[in-house]
Amino acid sequence: MTEAAADRAEEFARSVRIYVFRQAAETGHVPQPPRIAEALQQPQAEVEEALRYLAAGKVLILAPNGTNIWAANPFCAVPSGFRVDAAGKTYQAICVWDALGIAAALGSDALVRTSCGDCGDPMTLGIQDGELTQTDGIVHFAVPAHHWWDNIGFT
Amino acid sequence: MLLFRGEEHIDRWCSSRGLPRGAALTPDQAWRLAQGWYRDKVKPGWRRHTLEEAEELMARTGLTGQFWNLRGD
Repeated sequence: MTEAAADRAEEFARSVRIYVFRQAAETGHVPQPPRIAEALQQPQAEVEEALRYLAAGKVLILAPNGTNIWAANPFCAVPSGFRVDAAGKTYQAICVWDALGIAAALGSDALVRTSCGDCGDPMTLGIQDGELTQTDGIVHFAVPAHHWWDNIGFT
Repeated sequence: MLLFRGEEHIDRWCSSRGLPRGAALTPDQAWRLAQGWYRDKVKPGWRRHTLEEAEELMARTGLTGQFWNLRGD
C-alpha cells in the first residue's frame, strides 16, 4: 500500500470510528457493517476493513471470526449483564468498568444495574453530577493488566 | 471485571473456577478509572492513551503494584 493509500485508509477508519461511537452514544445501539456502509455511503468491504484496522488498534472489539462489532467499548452491541440507564436510554456494557465508562463517555447521570458475580443478587451503582452517589459492593479484576487483551472476552 | 457483594463472594467465585484471586477495587476507584479511561472516547479527537498516560491514571487511582503493571511480567 502506498503512503497516500495508507493515509486514506486511516482517515476512513477515523470516519468509521466517529460514526460508530456517536451512534452508540446517541441511540444506545452499536451500528453494524451494513448500516455503517449505508450511512457513510461506502462499500461494506471497505467498512469491514476499517473495522479490522480499528480492532487491531484496540479501539473496538469484533465478534469472533467476523466483522460484526461486539463492543465499541464501553458500549456493548449485544445484551449483557451490565445495563446502564442514562440520558433516557438503556445501554449495555461488557463489564462493570465499561458500565461506569458509559456514564463517563456520555458525561451523564447514570444508573448501572447488574448482579453480584457470585450470588446473583441485584446490585446498582449510581452516578450523579460526575460523582458516584450510589455505591454497592466491590469490583474485582480477575486478570492482571498486562494480560487484559490476551482474551478480552474473559477479561 | 465483575461487581460482588463482598470479599467472601469474590473468594467463592475465584475458588469455584479454580482461579487465583485478582485485585479488588472500591466502586469509587472503578469510577475514577472509568472516567480517566473513557471520558473522551466518543469525541472525534479521541486517541488511545500512551502507556505513560495509562500508568499515570492507574497510579492516580491508587492502582499500583505488579497486578497493574502494563509493561509485562
